[in-house]
Amino acid sequence: MEVFLKEIFGSRMTTDPFELEQYTKDIAYIPPILVRLLAKPWPRAVVQAEEPREIASLMHWACQNRIPVTVRGGGSSAYFNAVPVQEGIVLDMNRMQGVGAVHATGKAEEAAVWVQAGTTWYDADERLRRQGYTLRSYPTSAPAATVGGWISLGGLGIGSIRYGHLREQILGVRAVTAGGEIVQVDNPGLKSEVEAGLEGSGLCFDDFFGLEGTRAVITEAHLKVRPLPEKETHLVVVFRDVRPTGRLLQGLGQVSSVFNIHFSSPTFVAVLQKKGYALELPQERYCLAMDLAARQTEVEEAVRTIRREVQSLGGEVLAPEAGEAEWSSRFKALRLKQTWPSLQAAELLLPVEHFAAFHEALTKLANRKHTVVVTYAHLVSPQTVLLMTLFPSDELNTLRYLGDLSFISRIYAVGKFYGGKPYVVGLWNTAYLSDMYTSKALKRRWERKQKLDSPNILNPGKAYKAPFFLSRPVFGLGMGFLGALRPLLRAGREKDD
Amino acid sequence: MTKTKTNLEEQIAEASYVCGRCGSCRNVCPVYQEIKWESSSPRGKIALAKDIFLKHKSDKMTEFYTRRLLECTLCGRCEEICAAGIHTRELWLDLRESLREKGRLHPNFRHLSEQIALTHNISATANEYRLDWTDDLDDFEVPQSKDGSEVAYFVGCVSSFYPQLAEIPQSIVKILEQGQVSYTVLGGEEWCCGFPLISAGMSGEAQALARHNMEKVRALGVKTLITGCASCFHTWSEEYQRLLGEAGGEAEKGAGFEVLHVTEYFARLLREKRLMPAGISETVTYHDPCDLGRNSGVYEAPRDILQAIPGLDYVEMCRNRELADCCGGGGNLQMVDSGLSQAIAGRRVGAAVETGASILVSACQQCVQTLREAARKEKLPLEVMDITELLWRVLENERGV
Repeated sequence: MEVFLKEIFGSRMTTDPFELEQYTKDIAYIPPILVRLLAKPWPRAVVQAEEPREIASLMHWACQNRIPVTVRGGGSSAYFNAVPVQEGIVLDMNRMQGVGAVHATGKAEEAAVWVQAGTTWYDADERLRRQGYTLRSYPTSAPAATVGGWISLGGLGIGSIRYGHLREQILGVRAVTAGGEIVQVDNPGLKSEVEAGLEGSGLCFDDFFGLEGTRAVITEAHLKVRPLPEKETHLVVVFRDVRPTGRLLQGLGQVSSVFNIHFSSPTFVAVLQKKGYALELPQERYCLAMDLAARQTEVEEAVRTIRREVQSLGGEVLAPEAGEAEWSSRFKALRLKQTWPSLQAAELLLPVEHFAAFHEALTKLANRKHTVVVTYAHLVSPQTVLLMTLFPSDELNTLRYLGDLSFISRIYAVGKFYGGKPYVVGLWNTAYLSDMYTSKALKRRWERKQKLDSPNILNPGKAYKAPFFLSRPVFGLGMGFLGALRPLLRAGREKDD
Repeated sequence: MTKTKTNLEEQIAEASYVCGRCGSCRNVCPVYQEIKWESSSPRGKIALAKDIFLKHKSDKMTEFYTRRLLECTLCGRCEEICAAGIHTRELWLDLRESLREKGRLHPNFRHLSEQIALTHNISATANEYRLDWTDDLDDFEVPQSKDGSEVAYFVGCVSSFYPQLAEIPQSIVKILEQGQVSYTVLGGEEWCCGFPLISAGMSGEAQALARHNMEKVRALGVKTLITGCASCFHTWSEEYQRLLGEAGGEAEKGAGFEVLHVTEYFARLLREKRLMPAGISETVTYHDPCDLGRNSGVYEAPRDILQAIPGLDYVEMCRNRELADCCGGGGNLQMVDSGLSQAIAGRRVGAAVETGASILVSACQQCVQTLREAARKEKLPLEVMDITELLWRVLENERGV
């Protein structure tokens, strides 16, 4: 193995345990006891590709030798998406960075650009701005997340409310198949799976989105971009109650100049304020930060509409500085770790119409369980919010941390009641696959995976099937047990604050 | 005041616990950009520190760990972008202090410390030769420790002892002369500011230097201390208070004079019309030194100077001010891995060329030295100079010299 990899990647390959260990984790802390039970995260080697041909050679070899390959971009996800669970090779994409020239394309002569998969969204935007353009949407982890990573993992974030899911903003993808073929697959996904199957690679456009790099390795994406807007405005509106907040959220998706809507719960603001952040926001208020981008007249009109609506709902529009401050800290949500260095989180998609009810139910649950939860969310379509709920834990106390895991399943249960579901699968959320997909859809997903990657070497163990301990009955039992234990594990602790 | 061992380890543990491993720091880190292994990224280094100091896995303090900690320019880009708000620059310095505690300092750092103890400067040359750079100045005598001066010019070790950079202090004193400023230098009474020791994790050893320099400048009774070195400036304006800050000590007395970078002082002279630059027909870009910009907050003064020069076409580099990339010359990196330092500098001069500028100026001798070398190696059509050299060039033109 080493000889082969060295031949292709030279010094861009390592088997040094000192380096390998770094690739055994992502942003979420998981107690080692649990990791040992469910995964083998230590890769046998890490390689850094510089061009598709190298990836093609790697995949061809891996396919023949049935060695798993896990593709890693920013490593900024939380569900082991880019961490191996069956050893093998980690393919680090971070050397494949670059942004091409913006050009007009298609019948509509839309502006577009080819971006290499290892480019971070933050960098891509910076380079586009030099050309007078900007991204249509990007993740809230833009400084870390790579283009390939976000295509593979979610595709909803800042700008989605305006421009839709990332899928709608990509004209084509260049990739390497599980068997090592270099291909280009174009949107608009007009081809059905049957038609696509007639082609050489068999890949179709939808094989890239949200599938966690399990069907192909993305090397480049053809992104639609937008000219820098004539006018950008950032507002913060606040309410005393979550219900009018929810009502306003429901209507904002229809305001055409709206580029981003971000919700912060009063507890989230309070936790930040403990360390001197977000001081421009009032205490005990539900905050909606709104970012508008369009022609000046359109933005001004939208602001007037929003102000009227806020007034009618009994809210308040804060001074412009608050909007600017919220916008400039849009990548800094993790500052809450200054107050809660160890925390756990549940991330879910929720119908916007149930946002307020969900929030109320969550608050009741948290109070009952003597747990402080903070919530922030983005409106990612007129119908949907992408919501992150976090609560403090203690990774230095394994038992308590394990007990707290049960609270995540309680949050998801509340979310499910209100029509929500987890956002990303990875390894840890395979337990919720049946909440995210119908059994028919799951079957189809797996068949497609088998068709495109029959030896199951691309990022195996994610996205399709739960391992035994995460299978629904076993997981349910485990969470029930931990949930029953949790009050004992937290005994003697004051309510988190 | 330097930190006790317990203090230090607690602070490292606390900061590393806050890290969310999000990786925002990774792509902006000049070292990671070159090495590309996770362990070279700020989050990778913090993960190791967390294991060692929070989870007490002392077996992880390996040779490789030490190397990775020292592969850092202390540029502060990671702190600027950190999603969790960690003061990473302070963390890197604390980690270097911890290496000293554990006897794991780089041999070149130990050598540096011995050198400074011996000569009170970073070179092997005796400190009495600090004013050798004035030898070529025929038109006037540079006043040394002159009582009654309004301004003390703290030259810094790099400007004083590296002949290839002598034109920088020469330009500065020529500008002071032309502005009819009552100034003095300290000559052999000037000691290293202590920055290289602080960067090496030996802030305790920098205390004596800080105390000496503070006493000497105070004794002169000047109103203003200026320095052309971004690192000396940062040390004087940000670190001395901490180093001398024991209760009832030096810090409470207050320095008794203002500390300015020469760019701030010269911008003031330009505003007061005490300097009248001639025109120049060149496209110029400016590299923000990390220790002047991001780490000390001085962004506008250098730009004010450049924009006060008639005819000068000023262009910004894509990454500027708080987002400016490092030149590669910071954090004692050259002592640890000069190739890595040069590779980082190569990127920065490349970015300067992209602007279309024919001249790249900075406001730090270390940056000028590193970038000049990179431009030469890359054979780029780019003149690299200190901003004071450019200013003197246009003032000289005005005088018709």
